[in-house]
Amino acid sequence: MKNEVRALRTERGLSQAQLAEAVKVSRQTINSIEKGRYIPSLPLALALARYFGQTVEEVFDDNGAGV
Amino acid sequence: MTTVPVYRTKWFLPAFSVALGVACAAAFWAGGDGGSAVFALALMTAFGLVFLLGGRSDLVRGLRGDGRDEYWERLDIHATALAGLVLISVVIGMCLWEWAHGRSGEPYTQLGAIAGVAYIAALALLRWRS
Repeated sequence: MKNEVRALRTERGLSQAQLAEAVKVSRQTINSIEKGRYIPSLPLALALARYFGQTVEEVFDDNGAGV
Repeated sequence: MTTVPVYRTKWFLPAFSVALGVACAAAFWAGGDGGSAVFALALMTAFGLVFLLGGRSDLVRGLRGDGRDEYWERLDIHATALAGLVLISVVIGMCLWEWAHGRSGEPYTQLGAIAGVAYIAALALLRWRS
């Protein structure tokens, strides 16, 4: 699953640690999400989308795999 | 205010290590092996100190629980499953080895049976609860 977390984070000039603190997870979690190695839970995906002021679909893209 | 469970504090795993060391030492002592008792206590206390003082490491914080989030929870589940798979593979292997040498297979047969029953019971319980 592709995601825009890294792009949205760097756009805002945030470090992984700062974003991690904002959504209350570890820096490794943000790192793994950005690398596409970890698909976050729905609550965390929602928290990230809300933090960036986007919808979940705008942040995470599964290319319609779940439909 | 959210309360942190005791097993999610930085003290739980170090304290557990030392407690396990004391239990091992007591068992060795009861069996008349004072040297192993001291060694077990020293080893487990050393582990406890590493866990307590190694908080700068992400891995140690993840192990301890105080640095754990959903990502670390997933790692923990996968690591536990992998450790269980290794353990049950060894138990099955030892069981076959014992049988091949004309022995009863104890205690590996019992351990294998416990593992199998525990797995099925856990699966049924988790399915029932979800």
